[in-house]
Amino acid sequence: MTEKRVELSKAEQRERNLKWLYRILPFFSILLLIIAWIAVSGEGSDFPSPWAVWTRFLKLLEKPIKKVSLLGHIGASLQRVFIAMLIAWVTGIAFGVLIGWSKKANALLGPMFMAFRSVPPLAWIPLITIWFGTGEGSKILVVFIGCIACIVINTQAGMQNVNRLFLDVGTVFNATSKQRLFMIAIPSALDAIFAGIRTSASAAWMVVLAAEMLGAKSGVGFLITRGMDSRDQALVLLSMICIGIVGAILAIVTQIAERVICPWTRTKR
Amino acid sequence: MGEGMELQNKVSVQHLTKYFGNLHVLDDISFNIKKGEFVCVVGPTGCGKTTFLNLLTRIYMPTKGDLFIDGVSANPKEHNLAMVFQEPSSLPWKTVEQNLRFGLELKKLDKKIIDERVEEMIELLGLQEFRDQYPSQLSVSTAQRIIIGRAFGMHPDLLLMDEPYGQMDIKLRFYLEDEVIRLWKELGSTVIFITHNVEEAVYLAERVLILSNKPTTIKEEVKVDLPRPRDVTDPEFIRIRKYVTDQIKWW
Amino acid sequence: MSMDENKKVKLSLKNISQSFVVKNKVMDAVHNVSFDVYDNEFLVILGPGHCGKSVLLRMIAGLAKPVEGEIFLDGEELKGSDPRVGMVFQELALMPWLTVMGNVEFGLKIAGKAEKERRRIAQKYIDLVGLTGFEKSYPHELSGGMKQRVGIARAYTSYPEIMLMDEPFGQLDAQTRYAMQEEVERIWQQEKRTILFVTNNIEEACYLADRIILLSNRPAKIKQIYDIDLPRPRDTVHPDFLRIRKEISENTDLAL
Repeated sequence: MTEKRVELSKAEQRERNLKWLYRILPFFSILLLIIAWIAVSGEGSDFPSPWAVWTRFLKLLEKPIKKVSLLGHIGASLQRVFIAMLIAWVTGIAFGVLIGWSKKANALLGPMFMAFRSVPPLAWIPLITIWFGTGEGSKILVVFIGCIACIVINTQAGMQNVNRLFLDVGTVFNATSKQRLFMIAIPSALDAIFAGIRTSASAAWMVVLAAEMLGAKSGVGFLITRGMDSRDQALVLLSMICIGIVGAILAIVTQIAERVICPWTRTKR
Repeated sequence: MGEGMELQNKVSVQHLTKYFGNLHVLDDISFNIKKGEFVCVVGPTGCGKTTFLNLLTRIYMPTKGDLFIDGVSANPKEHNLAMVFQEPSSLPWKTVEQNLRFGLELKKLDKKIIDERVEEMIELLGLQEFRDQYPSQLSVSTAQRIIIGRAFGMHPDLLLMDEPYGQMDIKLRFYLEDEVIRLWKELGSTVIFITHNVEEAVYLAERVLILSNKPTTIKEEVKVDLPRPRDVTDPEFIRIRKYVTDQIKWW
Repeated sequence: MSMDENKKVKLSLKNISQSFVVKNKVMDAVHNVSFDVYDNEFLVILGPGHCGKSVLLRMIAGLAKPVEGEIFLDGEELKGSDPRVGMVFQELALMPWLTVMGNVEFGLKIAGKAEKERRRIAQKYIDLVGLTGFEKSYPHELSGGMKQRVGIARAYTSYPEIMLMDEPFGQLDAQTRYAMQEEVERIWQQEKRTILFVTNNIEEACYLADRIILLSNRPAKIKQIYDIDLPRPRDTVHPDFLRIRKEISENTDLAL
């Protein structure tokens, strides 16, 4: 076998250059954003420049707010998110399987759920505050309400769209209805369930900020409100950047988890 | 090869070669097709058939060599290339007639010419009763006939057909194959028909190109000089069919 | 025929009719079909397009109930699915979340067999269909022909007495199809069972069948029954083969 490099034709060269362009353009896009940021934070503007945010970041490391470091604040928010998500996953998947699989359950509980989910989760905050105060439990409850709906909906859809063919295979092998549920329907709905989990993670992260902005002593939501109250724009921007980065990491982590748990979805084209 | 030779041919593929990185997929494929010729391409499963097609339609660019139409490097924007795939690709929101018009309207042809051509195709395919129906109301085979009609109706420089009758039963296939031959004769189109089915290739083609395994090249050209309509039980037909099959199996 | 009298009837369909309601219209899919299937026979049900031949198989498999008529297996009426009946599906129907091994042992798992026993039987049939070494692959990593082999192996694991095959090679290209036909014939010779094979491909029918039941266009009725006594393995370009193929082809309805 000869391992000589194959020379590309002109047309192929052009194709390859285009591919490179597609790879470079995203970086260019970020660069543009930073340039725009520098431009609007120029002289005469009170909008903090990237350097100002960086110094604020260093200052925050030295002088924590409420004796909690930046990582501590992120950790506090994440903790609320994870506890709420865990509860939401367990109950949401169970409920979704129930109303997706059993027509009776769907007829009985479906409308109730529909009514519940048509209320935006943040609308629950006043009632929850009145009932349970502004403690840790209330925040977790708000996040839970914020992320359960998408899990239920996706799970239900996955259960209702189980390929008839797979169930036919079960019938030919004389599967019991319990086997049909646990060996066919639920596994085949797994990728839909995972879609729900992915959406729930980003929903939870969004809702936790709102919950924290209304009275908390820690968390990124608290940090950002603190910045607002003291008109500390650099702190607000810093918090926003942290929120964005953590949100992106959450999305990536759930995606990796899906690939590990559902390896068969990996190479669909 | 001189310039004069190329001009005689409608389609001329010269030294077509494709590498993906170091993976050698197509190796120096050359052939010519005269205007109005019907050529079938057969090859073993997993030969570079898809790459070959994508190079002809310019989805990929070749590493070496080129494809010429009327002596000019082929360009989908200038030349009229039509394709028929295995899955019916009619537009579900358009009726049969609108589907037939669609390609012609894209080419911005005169309304009178479009009307004429659409009528011609409806007539040739006997689709009068279906003209106002939507593809979803038709059987798979009828839907496929519309696509084939749409492709022929474009009066393309080159018509590429990629296993359009893949999953149909023999009876239906013979019927549709005869229909394609009728359209081809009537309109004088230049056709490249790709198939895995040797019997189909020998039934349709004036010339069969046999592809090799990867890196794909043209292993052999077989001329089929049998009179039409062809008889699949004719000893000469069987001889050619066997020969082509052996060429595919031999690797 | 006197030969028929020596054969044991395995499966018997009596006056089967089936119809569906489509867009508020009753559509007859199968009309009054009766036939017998003999023990260890390779019987092909041949019919054009969507003539309702798959519906026949689905009724035998217990996936649908006939509107009229009865089906008997070894003389007793079949009601619903039965472990003595196995099926190879047209659209593969492999579970994408299971490996080749997981798919092949699926039926055994449902039957509650112990893991060791399951693995032993599944391995036997994975080897039989020539997929040794692919046990840990997922269906999406396999070619069309290999996927269909998994479907065949899965159906054999439950030791069915009757194997139903519903256009199993409809999605394969012509060459893979020839290879799979040879494969099915080899498996049938090795694991003698009664096979009921549905196809719209006349060549495939002539290649595989001991007997062909030719159905009409919808609603499906029996048009003719052919005994194919060509020696095996058959040559698809042999004049006798082509003669029979042509004869059946001319008798088949055109379903445009």
